[in-house]
Amino acid sequence: MEIFPALLSVITDPTLLFAIVLAAAVGMIVGATPGLTASAAIAMLLPITFYMPPLFALAFLYVIGKSGRYGGSVAAILFNTPGTAASAATQIDGYPLARAGKAGKAMKVATISSVIGDFMGDIMLVVGVGFIAAIALKLGPPETFAIYFAAFVVIGSVIGKSVTKGLISALLGILVAMVGLDPISSEERYTFGSFELSNGIGLVPLMIGVFVLGEVFAQLEERKKAKGEVRENESDPSGHTLTYEEFKPCIPHVIRGGFIGAGIGVLPGLGSAIAAFISYGEGKRRAKNPEQWGKGALEGVAAPEAANNAVSGPSMAPLLTLGIPGSTIGAILLGVFLIHGIQVGPTLFLTDKELVYQLFACGMLGIFAYGIIGYFGATQVARLILKVPVNVLYPLIFLTAFVAAYSARGSMFDVTVMTVAGFVGWLMRKFDFNVAAFVISFVLAKGAEETLRQSLLMSDGGALIFVERPIAASFLLLGLAAMGFRIRSIMKERRIAEGGLGDA
Amino acid sequence: MRDVVEGIVLALFSLVAIWGAWQVPAASPGDTWAGIVPFAASVALLALSGLLLLGGLRATQTGHDVAEGGGTGTLDILILFAVALIYQQSFRWFGYVLPTAIVAPVVLYIFGVRNWIGMAASVVVCPLIFHIIFFELLGVFPPYGEVFDLLDWFRG
Repeated sequence: MEIFPALLSVITDPTLLFAIVLAAAVGMIVGATPGLTASAAIAMLLPITFYMPPLFALAFLYVIGKSGRYGGSVAAILFNTPGTAASAATQIDGYPLARAGKAGKAMKVATISSVIGDFMGDIMLVVGVGFIAAIALKLGPPETFAIYFAAFVVIGSVIGKSVTKGLISALLGILVAMVGLDPISSEERYTFGSFELSNGIGLVPLMIGVFVLGEVFAQLEERKKAKGEVRENESDPSGHTLTYEEFKPCIPHVIRGGFIGAGIGVLPGLGSAIAAFISYGEGKRRAKNPEQWGKGALEGVAAPEAANNAVSGPSMAPLLTLGIPGSTIGAILLGVFLIHGIQVGPTLFLTDKELVYQLFACGMLGIFAYGIIGYFGATQVARLILKVPVNVLYPLIFLTAFVAAYSARGSMFDVTVMTVAGFVGWLMRKFDFNVAAFVISFVLAKGAEETLRQSLLMSDGGALIFVERPIAASFLLLGLAAMGFRIRSIMKERRIAEGGLGDA
Repeated sequence: MRDVVEGIVLALFSLVAIWGAWQVPAASPGDTWAGIVPFAASVALLALSGLLLLGGLRATQTGHDVAEGGGTGTLDILILFAVALIYQQSFRWFGYVLPTAIVAPVVLYIFGVRNWIGMAASVVVCPLIFHIIFFELLGVFPPYGEVFDLLDWFRG
């Protein structure tokens, strides 16, 4: 019930409302711009939030994340280029609809489905988060470490094409986080005698480097590879309106997608792209018109859109209750909490409960805001994006990355870290390593180390404590099982691919 | 072949990481060793690098190795990275304004802009906009150039 007073307090704050509407518009534009991601925008804006009150900063970035997920569908439907990975499934049916002159119809279905899915996810978050936090308060260091371990393994092995490279990325993130003084004994680690390294690697410059500068490098490479042209879509006046009769068959897909997205959102690392594809696959399997899917079915837009947006709210649950970010946006938001001196974890619901529910309220109002902007203005946003010359946009982003990295702490060392992280981020993308696993592991590493060492002190150095305690053992097993399943599915895919080649 | 090279590079990196973890002094009685996580992570990294290397060698032997044609644009990336390195270093020497005025048209050129008026405008517009947003509105203290600072010169 805490959500209602929180909603009331947010609605009565005009500055906060303005920030929510602005964030909804910014997120939509960023998400709809091919090559720009909500993570990049949030990372770039992170230093600015140093100068804002905590709720304002968190709400602004949280709503950009939500709206950015939705904005990806605009590019997927209109330009045949998914603005985000999560909207790749929307492209399958969205672009054929646009080619058939039904772009407006597809956009409206995407907007309504996204709004319903996102609301479903947020309601589940509001209802369930207090319950998860209450359980989390009862967990000791061994259980918490086991959850961290499971998160590392799941994040490393589930995202991306290769389990080995995913786990390597996670380990690299952990090693980079270890640079600096040990928080317990103050011993230097990986500092090589450098004073600047003894302060550790900052989260903000690392994020800006990997997500913003790395993306600029990747875009430059893309521009050299692709010299294609965007074909103009047909325009049919009746293709812009959507009737209830047309949307009615989409409703079951939207509701199913909402549940799929919310379920996947709670699990760290899986993310909205997986939710969207599972929802699309499940929707097609149960559809009355499966032959239409892939050729321009409105249901094929509704199912993935509802799922990828439903991930947004529940993905905050592990972040807020355990301090484990489930996504890159979650990792950046964790940085905002830390910057403002707010300790994330189960105690957050004892110390800053009001702030948490106000953030949820801002999220809900953000959904409403991007829903209105999207329903009435998605096509105009798309036209605006087409007018922005990409070869001017990326140099501006390049220059902003440097000044943003400097602004965080006024440190030139941070600018150097950002530059190197940008190049490393591009290398990781180029060689199919997992950037998300790298960053999330970097964020998780300190907490995992603390709980590991506390557990070892509790058991006088014995590692059996993790096996003897049933909850800890179950989470360790869960992590290993997730990795096992992933390896099995990759081998299966490989066998099918080899069989296919053999047949050919 | 690519997996083999990646495996070797990562194995070397993990060996350096193991050596670095080994340099962490032993724990005092009743405490845990500060090097435990770095050491465990770097050993795990070495093991995974070995797996990557083995997979690469096996693929090379069985002829499943995929030829990579990923050289497109790499030279441009390296040039842009070099510009980035020089740009961030020149903050320390010349402050923010002068390096930004020089780098803005260079980066525009790398991204394919050939409009000379636009590039000339960027020399003034980019440092000015960033200066107003970050150093005036947000109140961030601008980096001071050790050799010469144009902003300092403007301010007299």
